[in-house]
Amino acid sequence: MNKQRAGALVLLVVGLYGLFSSLRLPMGKWSEPGAAAFPLIVSALLALSGAVIYARARAGAAVDWRGLLRQQWAPLQIVVLTGGFILALEALGYLLTASLYGFALLFWVSRYRLWVALGTGALIGIGSWYIFGRLFETPLPQGILGL
Amino acid sequence: MDALHNLLTGFATALTLKNLYLAFVGCLWGTIVGVLPGIGPVAGITLLIPATLGIDATGAIIMLAAIYYGAMYGGSTTSILMNIPGESASVITCLDGYQMARKGRAGAALFIAAFGSWVGGTLAIVGLMFMAPLLADFATKFGPPEMFSIYLLAFILLSSLGHDIFTTMPMVLLGLLLASIGMDPLTGVLRFTHGVKHLYDGLGFVPIAMGAFGLGEILAATQESEEGRGLQKVRLRDLLPTGEEFRASIGAILRGSGIGFFIGLLPGSAHIVSSFLSYLTEKRLSKHPERFGKGAIEGVAGPETANNAASGAAMIPFLGLGIPTGPPAAVMMIALLIHGIRPGPLFISEQAHVFWGLIASMYIGNVILLILNLPLVGVFVNLLRIPARLLFPIILLVALVGTYSGNLDTFELVVFLGAGVVGYAFRSWGFEIAPLVLAMILGPAAEISFRRSLMRSAGSFGIFFASPIAATLLAASALLLTWNVHRSLAKAPAKA
Repeated sequence: MNKQRAGALVLLVVGLYGLFSSLRLPMGKWSEPGAAAFPLIVSALLALSGAVIYARARAGAAVDWRGLLRQQWAPLQIVVLTGGFILALEALGYLLTASLYGFALLFWVSRYRLWVALGTGALIGIGSWYIFGRLFETPLPQGILGL
Repeated sequence: MDALHNLLTGFATALTLKNLYLAFVGCLWGTIVGVLPGIGPVAGITLLIPATLGIDATGAIIMLAAIYYGAMYGGSTTSILMNIPGESASVITCLDGYQMARKGRAGAALFIAAFGSWVGGTLAIVGLMFMAPLLADFATKFGPPEMFSIYLLAFILLSSLGHDIFTTMPMVLLGLLLASIGMDPLTGVLRFTHGVKHLYDGLGFVPIAMGAFGLGEILAATQESEEGRGLQKVRLRDLLPTGEEFRASIGAILRGSGIGFFIGLLPGSAHIVSSFLSYLTEKRLSKHPERFGKGAIEGVAGPETANNAASGAAMIPFLGLGIPTGPPAAVMMIALLIHGIRPGPLFISEQAHVFWGLIASMYIGNVILLILNLPLVGVFVNLLRIPARLLFPIILLVALVGTYSGNLDTFELVVFLGAGVVGYAFRSWGFEIAPLVLAMILGPAAEISFRRSLMRSAGSFGIFFASPIAATLLAASALLLTWNVHRSLAKAPAKA
């Protein structure tokens, strides 16, 4: 399985999902196309294109599944931390969450020293809270600090 | 005369203190975005969308457009001084710009890049001033069959963005499918929502664009190395080119303006294509082509002029037809839709003050950029000393706040994260992301046009061929599709 085949497979699956889901929607008539008409056509073409790409992409290095985690470690860290930010935002509030998020990115991903990451993370959190929350008056979640 | 009268009205709008300030902020931020490698004009515009929520539509489009063409100016600075393109369209400027800097002619290269950008940008605005209203007037005669044909042509042109239609067309189709999530615009039936209330209004353009372009770019950037390059020094007193350098640049600037303008009308990465085409043209026309790649000033003048002209020309189909022909115009469209304005055939007649205010501010913005880019070059260069690993947490936070501030809904942050992961994954697999976002924006209107056409004709597809305009556009679409498929099949089987 090479990279382009992996992508093609995703497209094929999404296309088939769209196709079967569309069949459950009102089709209407050609003189009055229903909600299913357009997504049905698009899904069918998407599934077909996925199949064509899969068939064409014969050559190419196989995906190194074992090395994948090592290669994609930094993106994975960012995704996990961003997920954590989203989960914590409403509960902890923007100020605290942004400061912790900044610290975690700088310490864990950018590999700054602990104190540098703490100080800079706090600066980024407080700075962005002030600019967006106070200057732009964006209603950010206040959370446990009430700020 | 009408155009001149309207332009004067536009200046009255653009020369207010507030709009001048917004043009300045946009130009400054655009230049910074252009100077900093890793943040393109798309991310730069996307990140400032939340800042436009508190201002009116005229001010918003003035600022966002200023970021777009400002980034074209800024991109040349790092290309010339560090051999690192600050923006993708400035890649070609590295070839001769950096060589000029190594020979002590950095100032001259920077001056000619800024001057050429100003000429190209200004001439494109003149074209925009006359062509956009004509195009819009013509398009008001369009009915659903004609509109659907235009959208179909646009989708096929979008799929020509990459080198292989088999990696771009599926992304267009995926974008169209994602756009159908939510309530059907004509019947109100819910599609692909699976009972999730947050999906009733669809996925939303802002989280998708922010995620795919903002988060996706950062994830991709973690895979690139941050090699240090020598930073060439520039002295202000060496900024002016010699008479000979100036004379050699004039022809390249004029040709670059023409090339950039016409390429800019076409969908795709016009600013990149136009700069490459301009470089190749100058090399072909030169009596001493061997100088290119070693510090030929025409190799800086032409491409830098072309990419600014293309940026201006790209506004013509965007404002006149409502069809964004590239990612920067796509995110500008998102920003305008948030303000309740839809660019298109009726935009220029019904929102004339917004359109002419924008035109006037583009003239002003080009002058602001000329002034910013010369004396302040030292300031901008210092931004390059900020390591990328320190910048990206700031960019991520801005993107997250920007996404959240639209509807104050954490579900949109989940969409943002998902779009970032999907965008990054497809990019790694060799697919283009921009067509997906563009198709999402145009999809709903395309679907409505398609269905309304069939309603009018009682189900007969002949309606698309009965109209000469629609039939011509469909024929062009078929030819283009055939040519693209042939081009892709003629290459070696896809390797990954």
